[in-house]
Formats: sequence, structure tokens, C-alpha cells
Amino acid sequence: MTLATPDVDREIRDQTTPEHPSLWQTVVWNDPVNLMSYVVHVFRSYFGFSAARATALMMDVHERGHAVVAQGPREQMELHAQAMHDYGLWATVRRIPK
Amino acid sequence: MTDSALILTVSRMEAQQLADLVAQFSELLEPHAVPDATSSGDATADPALARLAPNPYPDDDEAAAEFHEATRRDLLERRQNDALRVLADLAPSFASGDPNDPDPAADTIDLVIEGDAGWAWMRTLTAIRLVIATRLGISGEDDDHDPQDDRFAVYDWIGFRLDGIVRALETAD
Repeated sequence: MTLATPDVDREIRDQTTPEHPSLWQTVVWNDPVNLMSYVVHVFRSYFGFSAARATALMMDVHERGHAVVAQGPREQMELHAQAMHDYGLWATVRRIPK
Repeated sequence: MTDSALILTVSRMEAQQLADLVAQFSELLEPHAVPDATSSGDATADPALARLAPNPYPDDDEAAAEFHEATRRDLLERRQNDALRVLADLAPSFASGDPNDPDPAADTIDLVIEGDAGWAWMRTLTAIRLVIATRLGISGEDDDHDPQDDRFAVYDWIGFRLDGIVRALETAD
């Protein structure tokens, strides 16, 4: 599963190229409480990610401290953050870093 | 996945303890999950409640305030509804003399968690662990568990039950 992580990063970097300067991100942050199995289950169920992608994102959260789980218009990113909060995950919304 | 029913076999004593815990959680939410919640105290004053409704804009106080104003009460209300659903699922297990109880003398009971109730259970158990972790000051992966403090045992027990439900639903998926 750690082998999958660089691909996910590459995918995210590709989406962050400057053609979309006004886009925002939903970021999920690591916390010591949430179970890995639960975080993967949430990512799969809510975002519809594959098991591999959900697991790679969870590992990013766990090992690097955070992961970008979605990008797009601000309102939509706020809805995602709200949903993550419902699940007990710690999520923030930010502009795509330059 | 949401169409499947999950059977959770627990002892009656465990069901009772779970119900006590969920009821306490519900009481914690109560003052903040009602329509006039703004007049009954600031939810962020309690770090546990603040963790249940995190700040999505840590670097922008104005945006954070707007977001919380618009969403916090609804979020805590959804948590309250989740907790009540879990309590309803637990109710048959300790209602003594319940005519629907198939086997009142049994030590264990099969809790039936149907459809979306699975999420109500997972979200509620997660939220209870977040509250306990906040109260205990758990802030890192390797925090030592004080064996004298029963709350650590409760924290681990709820984690065990949550993990079991997640795995059962993943398998059914």
C-alpha cells in the first residue's frame, strides 16, 4: 500500500497545476483517535474511492500528517469538510497552495 | 451495504454499559443540539464539543465563525439523532420483562443493526472515543495508558467494538 502513495501524490499534483487558481481543497489531518480501518471505510463510502486509493490516502494522513481528499469550488469543499466532521474526522478547507 | 443487517452479539451487561455511555454522550450534546442553542452556552468552551465540530479554517477566524454559525448546531443535532438511534437499537437488550425479548434468561443478546443505523453506530462510537480522548488528554499515538484509569479501558473497548463493526460492514460490502 505504501507503493501506491506516490501515484496518489502525482495525481493530486497534476490536478493542482495553475490552470485552476481559484480551486480549494479539503484536507484531512491526522489524529491519534480515529481507527485506520474506520478512516478507510469513510473514504470508500463517502468519496467512492477504491480500497487501494482509500488506503493510500489514509496512510498519507497517518504518516505525513495530512492528505488532500478533494479539490474544487469552495462551497463543495466545505460540504466535504462538514461530512468529514460528521464522521469524526478532522478536516479543513484551504486554497490550493501555490 | 446499507441494505444489510449487522448482528452484534454482546453480553447484557455490556449492552447496559454501552447504553449508559451513549446516554451520557447524548446529555453532553443536549444543550447544544436544540434550535435555540446559541442562547445556552458556547459549544466551543468545552474542548470535547469543539473536537466534535472542528474548525475548518484555522487560519481565518472570520470564515471559521461563519462556518460554525451556519453548521455547528445542525452537526450536533445529527450527532444527537445518531446517539438516539443507537440507544433505540440497544433498548431491547436490557428492558427486563420485554415481551419481545426472545430469551430473557440468556446472558448474551444479538443486537440487530440495520441499514443506515450502521453509520449511526460508527459515528457515535467514534464521537464517544473523541470525547474520552479529549478528557484524557490523548494527543499522540504512543500515549501511555494509565492502567488505574478505567476510562482508558472504556476507550479501548469502544475502539474494539467500532473496529468490529467497520470490518463486518467492509466484508458485507
